[in-house]
Amino acid sequence: MSAAANPLSGPDPSQAHRAVADPLANALLAALPRAEWLRWQPHLEAVDLPLGRVLHESGARLSHVYFPTTAIVSLLYVMEDGASAEIAVVGKEGIVGVALFMGGDTTPSRAVVQSGGQGFRLRSAMLKEEFGRSGPAMRLLLLYTQALITQMAQTAVCNRHHTLDQQLCRWLLLSLDRLEGPELVMTQELIANMLGVRREGVTEAALRLQADGLIRYSRGRINVLSRAGLEARSCECYAVVKQEYERLLPPSLGD
Amino acid sequence: MNAAAPAAVMQPGHAPRPQAHYGSPCDNDLLASLPADELAPLLGALEHTRLRLGDMLYEPGEQMRHAYFPSTAVVSLHYVTANGATVQTTGVGHEGMVGIALFMGGDSTCSSAVVHTGGHGWRLDRQLLLKEFNRGGALQQALLRYTQALITQVVQTAACYRHHSVEQQLSGWLLGTLDRTAPAELVMTQELLGSLLGVRRESITQAAGRLQALGHISYRRGHITVLNPAGLRCVACECYGVVRREMLRLAPRRQEPA
Repeated sequence: MSAAANPLSGPDPSQAHRAVADPLANALLAALPRAEWLRWQPHLEAVDLPLGRVLHESGARLSHVYFPTTAIVSLLYVMEDGASAEIAVVGKEGIVGVALFMGGDTTPSRAVVQSGGQGFRLRSAMLKEEFGRSGPAMRLLLLYTQALITQMAQTAVCNRHHTLDQQLCRWLLLSLDRLEGPELVMTQELIANMLGVRREGVTEAALRLQADGLIRYSRGRINVLSRAGLEARSCECYAVVKQEYERLLPPSLGD
Repeated sequence: MNAAAPAAVMQPGHAPRPQAHYGSPCDNDLLASLPADELAPLLGALEHTRLRLGDMLYEPGEQMRHAYFPSTAVVSLHYVTANGATVQTTGVGHEGMVGIALFMGGDSTCSSAVVHTGGHGWRLDRQLLLKEFNRGGALQQALLRYTQALITQVVQTAACYRHHSVEQQLSGWLLGTLDRTAPAELVMTQELLGSLLGVRRESITQAAGRLQALGHISYRRGHITVLNPAGLRCVACECYGVVRREMLRLAPRRQEPA
């Protein structure tokens, strides 16, 4: 999809300086052709997405879809015994609520904000109607969904085959790509919930990364000191997902 | 899955269709759900394909040329890591199709598709699939809902690999495969099972040994016979049931005979 790169097809490209609450900070919205953008724009509602906010519970009907701009949303699967595992992250490159247009209306995963920030939301009925036009918006959303499936599948592979250190690096890199700066506000408890491991395991892995000078962790803040170091330590899963996102989607995740 | 189709033998009310020992395209649930006017243009183009154990339908990054609609075969969507370890993320049988990247728009995926239970299926040229998908009718709806069910399966697999034991996973895997095949006997080596579940052969041997000791399966020279599905359901983690319910919820309805 190169719609975002084409100044003639998208929204007004002169908005080079983006305010914090700018829907165009979301790559899917920014990639909409002009006709779609003009229809959608009046219906997009700016929302604060604070850390921990649940956007939808598993099995609940989706009233809105969300387009994060500065926030990152984690799709978690919660087991019957309460254990959880993160399946995918969604940030400024994506949309939360694909089950809506795929036709399921509900999804077995929970969407929870893992890094506070902002985003925009759109009522479900509006999105369904737009998707139903079978036009460029549908094609964009389907491409995004395919990229998301890749991330989910790669998470399954990673959970099976790679070490916690590798997974933590993958997770930090995926988050970093969706943030403005090198700092993540995140407790180890939350990371443990995301990765579906015990808190002690995450603490040990984080300490190892810190000892090697890759991150600095203090009081719920993780500063990434060496991105290259994290990439070297991560399994291939991060790169596989990133390449597939770059292949399928409008640019958003930077380098 | 099987429970969605109360009758094992389909009597769809569609116009003339190929009759052969390998069945008809309507042995696939997605195709069987299409109204006659949507199925008709596909019937001449759907090509019967024998899917043999181990056949690779596509490889990672390969441009897909066909969509496959299994009838009796079961296909595994399979990932291979950089160091050669493998794992299945989803299985596809008569409830689904292989090649969602065609209509999702990516044309290729990072996974490969390998036949793990030999049988029959039907394939459709990508151009024709896209043309029909873009009409926005019943086929589009069925394929998107199926993809949503597939997503559930991938999600569940990721969570399951994190939290559950090989014995639970093997039980769930056997039940899921049984849902897609007619006989209770599966032809399956421990090596293949290990590569599908992404664990060492020894772990499969141990897990299968315990299931055999419980009397739920018998395992002999590459043949697994499920003796007691109810027993397997007790051993399996919740993941099998979650996926099955979601598959049934999202499955299209078969067209009733005229």
